[in-house]
Amino acid sequence: MTYAPGKKRHSKSSTVFVTSILYIFLTITVLVVVYPVAFTIGAAFTETNSLASTRLVPWPEKPSFYQFQRLLTPSSQTVVGTVDVRGTNYLVWYRNTLKIAIVNTLCTLAICITSGYIFSRFRFRARKPMMATIVVLQMFPSFIGMIATYVILWRIGGLNTHWGLILVYVTGSIPFNSWLMKGYFDTAVSKSIEEAARVDGANQITTFIKIVIPMVKPMIMFLALSSFTSPWMDFIFPRLILRSDDKKTLAVGLFELINGRANDNFTMFAAGALLVAVPFAILFMSGQKFLLKSMAGDGTKE
Amino acid sequence: MSRQDAGINEQIIKKAPIASACFMGLGQILYLKQYLRGAVYALLELIMLFFTVFESGTFIPNFRGPIVKSLVGLITLGDPKPDLPVKLRDHSIFMLVTGLIVLIVVVLYVAVYVFNIKDAKASAIQIVEKKRFPTYAETRNHIQEAAFPYIGLTPVVVLLAFFTVVPLLFSALVAFTNYSSPDHIPPNNLVDWVGFENFRTMFTASANNSWFSAFGRVAAWTVIWAFASTLTCYAVGMLFAVVLVDYRIKIAKVFRTIFILPYAIPTMLSLFIWQNLLNGTFGPINRTLIELGLISNPIPWLSDPNMARITLILVNIWIGFPYSMILVTSNMTAIPSQLYEAAIIDGANKWNQFKSITLPLVLFQTMPLLIMQFAGNINNFGAVFFLTAGDPKVSDTITTQAGATDLMISWIYKLTMNTPNMYNLASVLSILVFIVLVPFAVYNFTQTKSFKDGEL
Repeated sequence: MTYAPGKKRHSKSSTVFVTSILYIFLTITVLVVVYPVAFTIGAAFTETNSLASTRLVPWPEKPSFYQFQRLLTPSSQTVVGTVDVRGTNYLVWYRNTLKIAIVNTLCTLAICITSGYIFSRFRFRARKPMMATIVVLQMFPSFIGMIATYVILWRIGGLNTHWGLILVYVTGSIPFNSWLMKGYFDTAVSKSIEEAARVDGANQITTFIKIVIPMVKPMIMFLALSSFTSPWMDFIFPRLILRSDDKKTLAVGLFELINGRANDNFTMFAAGALLVAVPFAILFMSGQKFLLKSMAGDGTKE
Repeated sequence: MSRQDAGINEQIIKKAPIASACFMGLGQILYLKQYLRGAVYALLELIMLFFTVFESGTFIPNFRGPIVKSLVGLITLGDPKPDLPVKLRDHSIFMLVTGLIVLIVVVLYVAVYVFNIKDAKASAIQIVEKKRFPTYAETRNHIQEAAFPYIGLTPVVVLLAFFTVVPLLFSALVAFTNYSSPDHIPPNNLVDWVGFENFRTMFTASANNSWFSAFGRVAAWTVIWAFASTLTCYAVGMLFAVVLVDYRIKIAKVFRTIFILPYAIPTMLSLFIWQNLLNGTFGPINRTLIELGLISNPIPWLSDPNMARITLILVNIWIGFPYSMILVTSNMTAIPSQLYEAAIIDGANKWNQFKSITLPLVLFQTMPLLIMQFAGNINNFGAVFFLTAGDPKVSDTITTQAGATDLMISWIYKLTMNTPNMYNLASVLSILVFIVLVPFAVYNFTQTKSFKDGEL
């Protein structure tokens, strides 16, 4: 850290005073930041169902895995040890979301890397109008046109299917990600290396796969991470497109679990949230270098 | 395989484009010896002609092909056929979408047509200049180099056309129709063009027009929200960034890691948890405050209009400050320490150092991101929808569906998804959001490297 102002001007007692004020302030903030998380963890291990019955201190009176049991029991069965309490489709939603996220990542990578490369390297007549269109399209939340999206998917039989949702996701990510990749190809891969490979007799495709792709790995990592994580908590399109309970994604499933039913399901929701948030936070922490860099705006300059 | 000296006539520069203008590909076949290319062009034109001339199903050449019908349908949006069963009646919304898709196909076709004429001319000029027809190898190389970008971009163009451009145009067009519950929902009823009627409904100021008052309220709150949410997150983030680089804080790294936590949790989940924490009766926050004797009645965090707005901004700080903190911290490390050393010699205290060095430099660096965050907050659907769902309700909510904390974007969502569906008015608002976002789009555009390099 280069920001290290001198200490000489302060008397010792005033320094101690200010320091303790700062520490008190920071400690209060830590409490505010951690409290919702701690409360959620406590609630997830509570045996009773309702929000009203949760304890004020974030640890349960007698810890129990009942909510996890309820959550992970398939909806066709009753929870072990009870007579009439049915399970949920949580595992099905989890699997659906995982599948959508993986396919979305692969398609986005294939399409956006190719188009970014083409925009960066080729000069063709439609290039400028297409790039300008992409910059403009990037600005608009795609759900403004959701009625037409719905009708089009209906006409091509894509309603209540995962591929219909994936089509919408991939399309929605094209403008931003193509532009991102184009910028990265412009700066990170020097044309001379490519030209050398071409002179040595490698053709277009070989050069692209063997020389260019390895050089943009950091950006590909970022692209993969962001297109893998976005379907997990997206709500609008799955809600619009997926109708039957066994097709739903986690976001919609959890929403319907809790919306207006905090008294029946809050602690189970907390358990479900925990099972998403923990792997998510781990993924985030391990990938944060890429995420933060690109979010801080210098991802393309690396 | 030489095609040299096949009697090159300079006339082809004129003749080939004219022939290609009469029928696609004709110039290429007759004058330029580009048989394959000419055949592809000609095939395209034949397909278009076929779908224009022959009526679908019967194949009678009466110029009522699917293309013509779809375009006519786009204009009429269907005729009332009350005697037919519902299933067979004209469905205005299908006709609108199909018409738009066909329109885009026709526009693309016209573009290819123009390209074909220009292509004929360019090829003719090349042939005359070189005084020979290109060899087979030359043609093949040319196609490989020139066609790669077009083939590679085909999926992009198709996907964007169907799932981005058509939906956006569609929602712009719906603003000029009466597509709304309960009287104009296909397939039972038709939808008609109504000109600027919806804009009059939304923007006419009169005492009994609850739409206009709701619009005013939502627009004002959207602007206040965008400013307040962006600035509070930034200010709080900066505060912690500055405090945590203070030499008196020994375990800054621990604090920083804890503070990143809200950023690592999916936002939607945090918002749901907060919604329940702040629940008026059962929420642990009110229960704790009552238990501690700090308040005697529950605080209406989410049920009083103004309180709900403040709560929304506060919860948004919880979610958003870590990002600003990281952003400011990373920008502060780039400030040369000599600046601070010089300031200390000049007798500047901490506050002066912050005011004259840290703040302006960091602000300058992060301004573009701050502006884009502002644009993002205008459209921050999630924060509102998951924390308050736009509630609490106010006097005109029953008519307009707009609650006290609804932003433009969540109001659009409600008008589209909830009954009674007001697709037409939702589209009017979408157009408005569109117009508001244009300056940001332009700004974003001027920030791109390509623009700065003069590439675009």
